[in-house]
Parts: sequence; C-alpha cells; structure tokens
Amino acid sequence: MTNKELTKLVTRLEAGEPLAAEFYARTGTARILGITGPPGVGKSSLIDRLIGEFRRQGRTVSVIAIDPTSPISGGALLGDRLRMQRHSEDDGVFIRSLATRHHQGGLTDATPQIIHALDAAGFNIVIVETVGTGQDEVEVAEVADTVAVILMPELGDEIQRAKSGLMEIADILVINKVDLMNAGTTGRDTIPSAEGKQWERPTIHASAKTGDGLASFCGAIEAHHGYLVRSGELARRRERAARAEVIRLLQSRMTASILRVLEIPRAQNILTDVAQRKLDPYDAVEQLSREIFGSQNRSS
Amino acid sequence: MKRPIKVLIAKAGLDGHERGALVVAMGLRDAGMEVVYTGIRNTPEQIVQAAIQEDVNAIGLSSLSGGHMAQFARVMELLRKEKIKGVLVFAGGIIPDEDVKKLKKLGIREVFGPGSTIASIAEFLKKSARSRRA
Repeated sequence: MTNKELTKLVTRLEAGEPLAAEFYARTGTARILGITGPPGVGKSSLIDRLIGEFRRQGRTVSVIAIDPTSPISGGALLGDRLRMQRHSEDDGVFIRSLATRHHQGGLTDATPQIIHALDAAGFNIVIVETVGTGQDEVEVAEVADTVAVILMPELGDEIQRAKSGLMEIADILVINKVDLMNAGTTGRDTIPSAEGKQWERPTIHASAKTGDGLASFCGAIEAHHGYLVRSGELARRRERAARAEVIRLLQSRMTASILRVLEIPRAQNILTDVAQRKLDPYDAVEQLSREIFGSQNRSS
Repeated sequence: MKRPIKVLIAKAGLDGHERGALVVAMGLRDAGMEVVYTGIRNTPEQIVQAAIQEDVNAIGLSSLSGGHMAQFARVMELLRKEKIKGVLVFAGGIIPDEDVKKLKKLGIREVFGPGSTIASIAEFLKKSARSRRA
C-alpha cells in the first residue's frame, strides 16, 4: 500500500466506512504503543524523539495524533504534528492527525480501525497519541499493547498518584521535562529485567528537549514487549482489544437503530408523554424496546 | 457524517513570523474547520508530504520574509510531481502585487495580504474547497 492509498483509506475509515476484511486479515504484527497524559506535558515531543530512536533501529513507524474537536465550532486545531514535522519526508514514517469529533475517552470513533489500516500497511510500530487527558480518559488501554503515561514535575503529590484511572493504565510512567528541575537522569531509572514474568512498572525521568532518558524509555518499551510475549499477556490484551472493538461497533449500530426508531411518530409521541409526565422514562424504554428489538427481547 | 474541511497551515523556509499564521489557524478552527498547523521553518518537501499524509482539502502557505516566490513555487512543483489533484492552495503574508499575479499563474488560488479578514478566508475556503472534495 502506498502512502497515497493509505491516506485515502484512513479518510474513509474516519468517515465511518468499514475496514475491508482483506485488510484485517493482514493485521496483528505491528506493536501498538499508546502515549497518554495531561495536555502540555510533552507527549508529541517525546514521540518525535521515539520516532528517531525507532528509525535508527531500522523500524518503520506510524503515528495517530489526536487533538480535541471544539465543542463550540466543531473545528479543531491539530497541533501535534508540528513537533514531529522533521520526520515528514521520511518514507518509513507516516503521521496522521485526527480530531476527536466529540468522541469521549481520549481517542476517536475510528481509531481501532485506523490502527488496523496502519498495521496492514506494514508499519512495525503504531503509536497512538491520545488527546491531553484528565483522570478518566483511559480508552487507549483498550487498543494498545503498551501504554506509557507521560507526566511532568510538580503535577501532584502521592495521593494524586494513588487515584484510579489514568495512573492505573500505565505500563511505563515517564516524567518528562526533568531539565526544568536541573535534575540529572543518569543512573536514576531502573529498567525491569528482561526475564521476569512479573511486570514492575518503571518510572523514567526524561527530557524531550535534551534527549535525556530517551534510551531508558526505549529500553522500557522493549522490556515491556518482552514481558507481554513471555507472560502470555500480549494474547490476553489482544483478546481484550478485539472484544472492546466488537462491542463498540455493536453499540454504534444499536445507537443508529435507536435513533432511527425515535424518528417514527409513535416514538415521538412516547417522548412527548415522558416530557409531559404522562409516562415515566422506564415504561417509555419498555415500549420503545419492543419497537427496536421486537417483543421477544423485552428485558425482565 | 460530513467531514469538516481539513486545512494545512504552514510556513515555508527561514521565516519565524508565526503570529499571522497562528491567528488564521485559530480563526479557521472557529469557522468549523480541522486545521493541521505545522508551524515555522517547514521545507516545501515536508509541507507536501504532510498534505498527503493528512489528506487535507487545502494548504495555506504563509510568508513574511520575502522567500515566497522560491518556496511557494517549489510547493506547487512538488504537488504536480506527486500528482496531487484537488488540493486547493492559498497564501498569505507580505507579498507584493506583482508577485501575487505570478503566484496565481503558478496555481495558487488566492493570496490574502495585510488587512484580510478571517471571515473572508473562511468564506473563500468554504466556497472553493468544498467543491473540490474527493
């Protein structure tokens, strides 16, 4: 697949068209790396460095870089590519910026399918950069083999680190911008052993600006992949990803059916009755379920 | 779902004057477009490859340093070489009138100089980029 064919395929997937089965059959070989964390911590700049490292190892890299759609105008300013633009001319690198188009969770509707397309196109590594996340946008864990959560100094105390959500999905924690603290990184980070069956999440101190800690970050990514393969966790994660993808596709089909049924006059009347307090929402759902799924699927 | 117009805004060559390009990028975002902003000091090669990978409907080139003829001409040449059709190219910045004519001959559809409003640029793109969409 040429870059020109790939880019048009991505556009069609982004518009909601299904991925052809022949492409899906060719997927499963790329490593999927999720990069997530709050806005402004340096995710894109670290990815720029990672691309450089992976390319030196002779691997091809594609990046899905996601930024938010404006809730006001529906437009978006996609500013991740700017940090990686020096790789634009490299044939072994393909970068695509995507707007969330109101998808919640840190990714876009079609991200799983676009990952498949990049995988099928033969890229060794697919990097998924989420929107700048809060505590609860953790969808990237459903699509990635390895998730790196990027933070920066002074973001919070131990209690913040103990909270659920974002901090829990990290396979690797990276504290970027350590140059701001005049904190050296040499010899500070311990990369988990390449043999263990347990994964001990490393914390990497890095600076995208100086390149400090990048070798450790790459080492941790490599070590985590080794762990995934040895422990059988890779197969489990891929099963989880497949399950999540199918559930989401089913949900979007169901949602489309629901919205279609809500257009019919009988459904409109039911909604009006709920608004006027003549009918309660649960009875409305019982009646509408019969319209949508047929009477045999009535919930108990 | 109808795809919003997707635009690449870039500055080519050795030109660090970013404010105007960024204002246009934000203005087009506010007009409902998806704007890929690649900032300053792009080579024409990088701009054209970015336009391919991002599958944009339009490319906006900004120049305030006097390098517009060489840089923009090279972008147009590369687009032809890559056989990219249907991508509208427009420009902005400090560009003398006699050069505007030359740039239009090269295929740059419109040049927005000082005093141009965001509304006029957005209107132009909505009218011209939509009809060219694949």
